[in-house]
Amino acid sequence: MYQPTIGFAGMSHLGINSAVATAERGFHVVCFDMDKTLIENFKKQCLPIVEPTLPELLTKHCLTEKIEFSDDAAMLGQCDVVYIASDVPTNDRGVSDLASIYALIKQVLAHLNPNALLVVLCQVPPGFTRALKTELPLERVYYQVETLIFGRAIERALYPERFIIGCADPAISIDSRYGSLLAAFECPILPMRYESAELSKISINCCLVASISVANMLSEICEKIGANWAEIVPALKLDKRIGANAYLAPGLGIAGGNLERDLETILNFSEFYGTEAGIVKSWLRNSQYRKDWVLKILQSHVLLTNKNPTIAVLGLAYKENTHSTKNSPSLLLLQYLRSYNVRVYDPVVDCSIVSWAHSATSVEQALKSADVLIIMTPWPVFRTMTLEELKKTMRGRVIIDPYQVLAFLGLEKEGFHYSALGVGVTC
Amino acid sequence: MLKHLNKTKIKPTRVVVLGSQGFVGRYALRQLKSEGIEAVGISKNEVNLLHVDAEKILLEKLNLQDTLVVVSALAPCKNTAMLIDNLRMMQIVGNVIEKISLSHVVYISSDAAYADDITLATEDSVTAPTSFHGMMHSCRELILKQAAKKTPLAILRPSLLYGRGDPHHGYGPNRFIRLAEKNEPIVLFGNGEEKRDHVFICDVAHIIALVVQHRSEGILNLASGHAYSFREIAEIVLSEIECVSEIQATPRNNPIMHRHFNIAALYKAFPAFQPTQFKMGLKQVLQQSTLSMETT
Repeated sequence: MYQPTIGFAGMSHLGINSAVATAERGFHVVCFDMDKTLIENFKKQCLPIVEPTLPELLTKHCLTEKIEFSDDAAMLGQCDVVYIASDVPTNDRGVSDLASIYALIKQVLAHLNPNALLVVLCQVPPGFTRALKTELPLERVYYQVETLIFGRAIERALYPERFIIGCADPAISIDSRYGSLLAAFECPILPMRYESAELSKISINCCLVASISVANMLSEICEKIGANWAEIVPALKLDKRIGANAYLAPGLGIAGGNLERDLETILNFSEFYGTEAGIVKSWLRNSQYRKDWVLKILQSHVLLTNKNPTIAVLGLAYKENTHSTKNSPSLLLLQYLRSYNVRVYDPVVDCSIVSWAHSATSVEQALKSADVLIIMTPWPVFRTMTLEELKKTMRGRVIIDPYQVLAFLGLEKEGFHYSALGVGVTC
Repeated sequence: MLKHLNKTKIKPTRVVVLGSQGFVGRYALRQLKSEGIEAVGISKNEVNLLHVDAEKILLEKLNLQDTLVVVSALAPCKNTAMLIDNLRMMQIVGNVIEKISLSHVVYISSDAAYADDITLATEDSVTAPTSFHGMMHSCRELILKQAAKKTPLAILRPSLLYGRGDPHHGYGPNRFIRLAEKNEPIVLFGNGEEKRDHVFICDVAHIIALVVQHRSEGILNLASGHAYSFREIAEIVLSEIECVSEIQATPRNNPIMHRHFNIAALYKAFPAFQPTQFKMGLKQVLQQSTLSMETT
């Protein structure tokens, strides 16, 4: 059976993970990016990002030449399907800059086989794909919703829950070349009009933010009334209307860039069309409010009595298993701790980005004589700390552990003052 | 949020406190002087802002590059006539600011500027006052924002104030202390369920001094970060003062409305500053004798 050759233009985090997953599913893949250095590094299997199993799979498929890299867009001319997979940059307010995507599409179209298909994989606002009709016939254009999760990118790319495909006409069957690619992943395929697919991605993120916001709001009430949110969550998940996989972990505010971008898109549509979207503003307000949780705990439980504490901050990345620090709660907190003696450690992020703090090379070094420990990113390695280590290495007995990384140690019973999201003090 | 034009503290050339004989003005002036800052006070004895020549007189008293702390008000503002007078006063101040190059202007406003139904106030909360007092401050903020377009302007919105020497007999710790000291009953509205954040006057003065030295601009709420119910406040007062006063509840006429403050912005603006918690502040108030102030 004919196997289509698949191209990926834009070797972003999304692009490289999608490309490697496609090669793993048996397709020949051509990867293009105009960044020569990036391409050379990929050829040498040097990755600028951290994702579990990505290095092994990349090596595997480079060795068999299943995947090839080039900084020459003409290489895409051999492809049957070409994905546009570059990042869409956003500013601090989450507003997308689409200029680079348009430029990339133009560059690709200059070399695209006249029968080849173009698939937009980037996070673009509704209306983007249909507007490409000025560039090529829409029968050759698809939009595919990406569901990348930092730290789980390969898993998500290899085993998608479903494909959401935006089409010029969803009543017409998907082109067989593209269809055979999608079928190789053995999951449901949902064709729909472009705008529905583009909004699907945003809708997913809105539902997640809504769920997180509810968890944030209720977990704060837990902290005040002596309840424990972790005790409530299983009861919620057993309610079929909420579901076993509901996203109910409280956090320190939205970070990473993608959720913020989607909320901004919804607000822009709402303002333009005059719809009611006050709830989105509430989510953003809640997110902003949550970012100060650790600072407030630190002020009320440490700085009230200790004017010059040594503070150990573990974690700089915005979440675990990633190198990304975009909108990281940790970096935001650290801005306000400059007057104190602070030691930072992250297993992946270079700590020199917090140039004024002491960069520790290990957890133990960060903890040495610390009066307070703050765990800002729930890296798995932080769960290996023991009670003995904490008692022996720390000077003080205050632990601020928003994500309950060390909850299993029963620290309150061991003489520690322990604060975590959603955990109240029982009277 | 507040933004500092001076990253580290720099003593201004001179600070002029307009309204220096009022509660906030007196404490502010004392704090500034105690920190070695050149500071003078102007009261209504020197400049009556409702006088026809007020603008001319005030201009004569100010030097170029002064820092002006504006506290002067007819407070609490209770009716239309007072509102208009207060706005006229601020119109004069605004005219003066437009005519002389000042280094910095600091306006002491109030949390009364916020809408009544705000239960967790931040600097971004909606300002939609429903009282004359709140409207007075809200309008005065606008007048100053217009006038100070070329001058850094800080607007500080304190929550309810308490401290020794407060001339007002407002419902709350100041009144409760006075009643307890006179062995009179402390009468609560309802059962005193409403929670309010009360900020210690010395904290307000301290922050004014910080704002002035950092040449800060923007908006900052001044609160302690902890709200107590009026009943709790009354109980704390009675636990600290030897007296025979008792707490009396009354039938409730209005719904219970709490107001808390999220003071993350205060923590961020001045990380080393610790708001005085109410019990500690109350002890300090009770230890103080009646404040005697220098007015120049």
